[in-house]
Amino acid sequence: MSESYGDERANIVAETSAVDQLAVIPATFGAIAFVVGWAIVFRWISVTDTLAGIEYATLLSIGHLLAAAVLCAVGIFSTTGIVDTEPDDSTGLFTALAFGAIAFIGVGLTASQTLGTGATVWFPTSLVAAVLVAGVVLGVPEDLGVTLPVAAFELVVGLVVLTDVIGPSWVWSPNGFSASFVGPIAIAAFAMVGSLLCVWAGTNASKGFGSRGRELGAYALISTYAVALLAILALLIIFVVQNGLNQVLKGAQLWPFKLPFVLNGYGLQYDVNGIFPAIVGTVWLVVGAVVFAVPLAVGAAVYLTEYADQGRFTRIVETATNGLWSTPSIVYGLFAFAFLLPRIQNDVTLLTGQLVLGFMLLPLVLITSREALQNVPDEYRDASAALGVTQWQTIRSVVLPAAIPGVLTGIILGIGRIAGETAPILLVLVREPFSASTPSVLGSFHFTATAPFITNDALLGPATALPYQLFAVITAGVGASQEFGWGTALVLLCVVMFFYAIGITTRIYFRKKLRQ
Amino acid sequence: MSQIETQTTTGETEEQIRDEWLEYEFDGETALSVEDLDVFYGNDQALQSIDMDIPEKSVTALIGPSGCGKSTFLRCLNRMNDRIDAARVEGTVEFAGENIYDDDVNLVELRKRIGMVFQSPNPFPKSIRENISYGPRKHGDIDTGLVARLLGRDDRDEEEELVERCLRGAALWDEVHDRLDDNALGLSGGQQQRLCIARALAVGPDVLLMDEPASALDPIATSKIEDLVEDLAEEYTVVIVTHNMQQAARISDQTAVFLTGGELVEYGDTDQIFENPQSQRVEDYITGKFG
Ligand SMILES: Nc1ncnc2c1ncn2[C@@H]1O[C@H](COP(=O)(O)OP(=O)(O)OP(=O)(O)O)[C@@H](O)[C@H]1O
Ligand SMILES: [Mg+2]
Repeated sequence: MSESYGDERANIVAETSAVDQLAVIPATFGAIAFVVGWAIVFRWISVTDTLAGIEYATLLSIGHLLAAAVLCAVGIFSTTGIVDTEPDDSTGLFTALAFGAIAFIGVGLTASQTLGTGATVWFPTSLVAAVLVAGVVLGVPEDLGVTLPVAAFELVVGLVVLTDVIGPSWVWSPNGFSASFVGPIAIAAFAMVGSLLCVWAGTNASKGFGSRGRELGAYALISTYAVALLAILALLIIFVVQNGLNQVLKGAQLWPFKLPFVLNGYGLQYDVNGIFPAIVGTVWLVVGAVVFAVPLAVGAAVYLTEYADQGRFTRIVETATNGLWSTPSIVYGLFAFAFLLPRIQNDVTLLTGQLVLGFMLLPLVLITSREALQNVPDEYRDASAALGVTQWQTIRSVVLPAAIPGVLTGIILGIGRIAGETAPILLVLVREPFSASTPSVLGSFHFTATAPFITNDALLGPATALPYQLFAVITAGVGASQEFGWGTALVLLCVVMFFYAIGITTRIYFRKKLRQ
Repeated sequence: MSQIETQTTTGETEEQIRDEWLEYEFDGETALSVEDLDVFYGNDQALQSIDMDIPEKSVTALIGPSGCGKSTFLRCLNRMNDRIDAARVEGTVEFAGENIYDDDVNLVELRKRIGMVFQSPNPFPKSIRENISYGPRKHGDIDTGLVARLLGRDDRDEEEELVERCLRGAALWDEVHDRLDDNALGLSGGQQQRLCIARALAVGPDVLLMDEPASALDPIATSKIEDLVEDLAEEYTVVIVTHNMQQAARISDQTAVFLTGGELVEYGDTDQIFENPQSQRVEDYITGKFG
């Protein structure tokens, strides 16, 4: 009795065994291979570069083989009982299907491309392979089902790369496919897929399989995905900054302050051509769209949530708004061109651009505001009503303030979209994309004694915008150089970030006000 | 009304409600007079012709098993049921000589005079001070806005005075007087509930309706609320729903017992109800045999 009591205790206290330490090897290799894979894709290193005299390609393949060997060993040790583990009887359907899918793709590609067989051969072959792999994985105990398939994958990949079957100079142009794949990318892809598998299998094994192993395996896999995602975002930004920074800083100096690319217009009078008019144009477009759309959208949301009977009408409106939100932006552009433009000045104007972007912003702000209003607890409304406060006063002083953070989220997301839109303003905003003059909206308000009492020539004149310039430079190849385009992209990114910063700061302010 | 056919949940005894069980003689004025009140949610009847006179400046407890319509009855007294789409109310509730279900009743005035405290504390996500001055501000009794300040008609002092008076009234002043500008959501549950009572006092009601105000609170906070309710009864008419029989016995002057199906079975002096109930079902309920 006391014997078994002792055994149970041992299970509760985490133990380190040989498996723990062995399994760390593939997991570590996975993490390293992941980074190296990214580095290759982004061309920070080349597969033919050397580290300690050995090419990265070779290093990676050795790593693959090592991981394969260790995982294989771990699986066998575990199943023969040399080390203590707690595997389940079966690996589980999901894992089996995943390995089946990998087998399907691997065998399919090999059969169809290397052996040159037609679909009648490769499809059944790979299907059989997939079913076989899935079946075996499903049938064997967990410690084998987790380690051996990954080891097999690593083994194949490692051998293929090591023996130069797929080496740095390998090129693959699939039939009927205009693109071609090159060795370095394939090696990087192997490294990344392999790394995910290794991280998962290694961490799973290091906890002795079973529920504890699956827990850590899932955690490690998800973390790696999250890191990959963040890496993509970060790399995107770094890429733009790398390409655009030179142009933005062209002729810049700190004292006296000069940042010609950002602060100049585009024309013969400037030593360095700049994009100031486009920056101002984009800012005014966004401001105009927000001023136009936000009151309308929030008002509509208040009506739909607080006043209208919840029923078919609100559902129809909701569906329609969702549809509007997913309407392609070029459709908005056409609408603006065909409907707004003839009615406003019959020429390209800043106002038309603002309106069409406002139309685009409307559905999103409406949807998010509605959500935010619905999330305001009914207790607030009841409490207010019980004090004899009217519905409108309640909405104004309790419901809307509580919903403001949600509304702001909608506006922030919406601005992110419209600030970068080219299609809607393509036909209605720009007379000359590279403009020397800046629209001076604030300075152009004129007051008159007769109707309409207030006029603004800048709103009714043409303007230009950053995404439009980018489109002109890069797609159409007009006007300026590639670097100019990258500089524009970087500035556009900054402008959008700037709007985000404003939005997020206000949101933080209002959240604080509600909480403390 | 006279003898109502009733069904008991046990189905064993068919007890008929007698008129004298509902007759309650009291000295003093009637604050609320309910007559022949039926409430329906869609097709389901939640209250069956309730008749009840509630004396002013006293505590009236409503007890009964879950789902018997106590909250529904309470909400009828200041027309909060209007806010529930499915609810339909028939009958009359007389307050200050008028039927509050008349078409020309001013809901703002009605709810100013008949305040309500809910089961779970629901302060606004604003400062303690703002929570209390919210009602008076919206009613225009207190104005601390920019315009008022510019015109020199700022009611700051009145506001201060009101906040202190209501917080003292709700026995919360000593705990929060040095942090009136903190968000009310930072208070404990019991403090929040007393803040809600203070908030209801701020609009100057005659009647306070409380729906299980202590159900989410610990014994100490509960006893604070109980003491408070007894104090409040000197100035206000308090109608309180509670599941806690001892609480009802301790704090109320008269008790109304609702039973499943939405009937008022017995109404009278609290001591009499608890010591000598006339209805067998009420006795079973109070002694814990039923409900
Ligand atoms: N909003 C509503 N819509 C439909 N039916 C309702 C609604 N509110 C209450 N009811 C029904 O009316 C009956 C009485 O409900 P009520 O909330 O008044 O009970 P209660 O006595 O307060 O119960 P508890 O002690 O559990 O709070 C119940 O059968 C309930 O299902
Ligand atoms: Mg209730």
